[in-house]
Amino acid sequence: MTMVGRNMKRVNQEAGPVGKIGHRKPEVVMRLARMGSAHPTRLSFLRVMLRRMTSGGWRFDRPVWEIDAKGVGRAVYRATGPSRTYSLVAFSHDLPDHMRSDRVIATAWDATFALFDGDPAKADLDRLQGNVPLQEAGRISASELSLSRANRSVRLFSHVVDSLAAGRQPDIGEVDAVGYLMRTTAVYGSGKFGAADRRDIASRAELAAPFQAEMLSVWLTRQFTVDIVEHLAAVKGGTSAIRLGTDVKRRLGVGNSTGLGMAPFLVRHPALLNNWMAAREEALARVRALPEASLSAVHCLKDAHSAACENAANWRSEHPIQIDKLRDLRGDLARIGARLEEFPGADARPWNALWRWGEETLTLEGQEALFALLIEPHGDCIDDLAALMSADEAAEFRLDGAMRIASLRGILESQYGWALSIDFARPANQARFWYVSEEKLEPRLGDRATDDGADLEQPLCIARMAQDLFTALKEWPGNDPVAAFLLHHPDHRFMVRRAQLAARHPYAEVQDNLIAEDMLPIDLMRCKLAFFGASHFDPRSDRWVRISLFEGAPYPLDLAEEASS
Amino acid sequence: MIAEANDPTRSGPPLPATPLENIGLSRNEVETLCAKAARGAGMSWGHAEEAGFATGWLSARGLDGPEALLTHIEKTHGKAWGDVCPVIEKGRWRPSAADPLCPIALGATLNDFCGLDDGRLEDGALTVGPISHPLLVLPFLSHVAARLKRSIAVGWQGGSLRMDGEGAMTGDLTGFAALQEATLDLSTTAESVRPRPQKAMRTCKRETFLRLNDFAMKTTVPPSDKSRTDAGSGTSDND
Repeated sequence: MTMVGRNMKRVNQEAGPVGKIGHRKPEVVMRLARMGSAHPTRLSFLRVMLRRMTSGGWRFDRPVWEIDAKGVGRAVYRATGPSRTYSLVAFSHDLPDHMRSDRVIATAWDATFALFDGDPAKADLDRLQGNVPLQEAGRISASELSLSRANRSVRLFSHVVDSLAAGRQPDIGEVDAVGYLMRTTAVYGSGKFGAADRRDIASRAELAAPFQAEMLSVWLTRQFTVDIVEHLAAVKGGTSAIRLGTDVKRRLGVGNSTGLGMAPFLVRHPALLNNWMAAREEALARVRALPEASLSAVHCLKDAHSAACENAANWRSEHPIQIDKLRDLRGDLARIGARLEEFPGADARPWNALWRWGEETLTLEGQEALFALLIEPHGDCIDDLAALMSADEAAEFRLDGAMRIASLRGILESQYGWALSIDFARPANQARFWYVSEEKLEPRLGDRATDDGADLEQPLCIARMAQDLFTALKEWPGNDPVAAFLLHHPDHRFMVRRAQLAARHPYAEVQDNLIAEDMLPIDLMRCKLAFFGASHFDPRSDRWVRISLFEGAPYPLDLAEEASS
Repeated sequence: MIAEANDPTRSGPPLPATPLENIGLSRNEVETLCAKAARGAGMSWGHAEEAGFATGWLSARGLDGPEALLTHIEKTHGKAWGDVCPVIEKGRWRPSAADPLCPIALGATLNDFCGLDDGRLEDGALTVGPISHPLLVLPFLSHVAARLKRSIAVGWQGGSLRMDGEGAMTGDLTGFAALQEATLDLSTTAESVRPRPQKAMRTCKRETFLRLNDFAMKTTVPPSDKSRTDAGSGTSDND
């Protein structure tokens, strides 16, 4: 799976009207400010999952619904594919209001879930019932692919239950202001809490792309969120209760609340990050190289633009940084709209001309939105790239001790120039440190000048480690093997491995100082969440955010009805 | 990591009152726990990653990597790198002082020197040791075998085994796994290795888990009001 990085040559983007269009340089792409402006695209993981699940061959049903009048009990949602079945097992609880918290320190939730690998028997459900509601305090097994939980939106949930119980649809303004009935506060996969290891399921076609099990679990969770409000409305309203209208349902996504814990992920998985970013760059290069814009592609582009404008109009945030970014985005979407009136025009490569115009005219928000719009009409030409977005990290692990010191120095000079030029003598350039809290084992960010714990700093200060390595290498003969250096400098082993990987993967490193005073963790989070397919990125501080997933998407049980009608 | 359950969330039966003897752990969890424990015991970040790799590799083959790592770091934590890393001479790698070699340091260095003159196994044996808990060296030897595309013979006083680059092993594995300390003769061999079924462990003794976790917790920072506030506790999220 590393072929994306290896095969994609980095070519200067200044391609002429008929020359080859290469990938943008890492120093353009891998900047926090740009990554923190990312929008979901058709390569986002939830879109990849939905394409597979809605393209036929998959059936959905709800074989278990054992929920009582208080909304307590269990349910099973089943997705049956050509060769395998996956089941979301949901446990619904009656949570007192004062215990509701999105933070990882919470110990109680409105609902808890596990994605079961297959069709669970009663014994499986009983076993899960003894563990899943406990979340981190319980254990699941190799038969489970994810563990998650969700809390109600206090504002919207009761409004919807009360409205439906009284026989009327909820107020659209209220629905749009929140956007979801429940929000997940953690979705654990990849072997967490005893679940199946990623390496054991990664060869399955439906799980090969990143985070497919997690996305499936959240999509089925969205179905649960509307089923539980309809259930409670029916209990409350009896015969006068009605079901959610199609339009209201479509507007509802699943919320997600995410804290700092997610921020280091992209830094800890450099090969994976490379493959995600390289797939995007390849998609952009392919579309820019197209010689024409068909009528249907232009139509699709304009539809996507209208949807983006509607999304931006409904996107609310009270955070000053995000308010500014939303202003940029709305202004840029208006500019894009004006430009599209003359699209495709007479350019030899109309998509490239549009992109080049965007680069010269738009803010980073607008450029990233344009990226998503540009690739939207071109599924035939780019959807295959989703298969290249995984990474075999074990295969990348072994470092090359036979490499000469001169070569390693060369890698640092060519791949880490951005890091070598930082002046770490300036306190602002290492004002912060990443650490793991003893209390909840979650990553946090400390202030080096005033907080305890800098001696327990996590290795996320890549720029400084690269610089330290470069300094240590200066004294070594260029012809010596790296093995000899590492025998004397065990502390540089981590960075040597990383630098060798970066030499093979041009988009492996975020090219910004992750311990600088002005670094914004939410930029890392937005990048990752956009790859998931999140819309309505809404920071609550520079360290935690809310988003919405699957807004506007179909529901699995509605697909089942469409198929049978 | 294993926190107290909170009753109001329960819609099912409580956990068994007596703690289970074994805890189910995925390979990912073994790797993560052991990497953190190794770091907590004083290894560099790069070697802590190697410890995670080695224990996960062993667990996947039904061998108790976590237990071996635990007993090794309980004896050696806090020792300086110079006391546990190999001194390299052609054909003979030995400790610099009285302590046995760290199996993680040795294994990583064997991988680093693979293909270099000082690490040659192809023409005659390389003698290494004494090594603490030599079981932990096997995953690294498998990488050497893969790199050389040859099987590797491992001999020690009282036994021998062979392994290949796919991780298949044959010989006195049980005796090898029990060694607390040994000097090994390593060489390539033309004899092939007949794979035998290996079942992943997927469990860890509770006691081992808890003691490794004690080491892992040494990498964490105790909470303060400020750190809680920075993480978001000052704002309400119940809306």
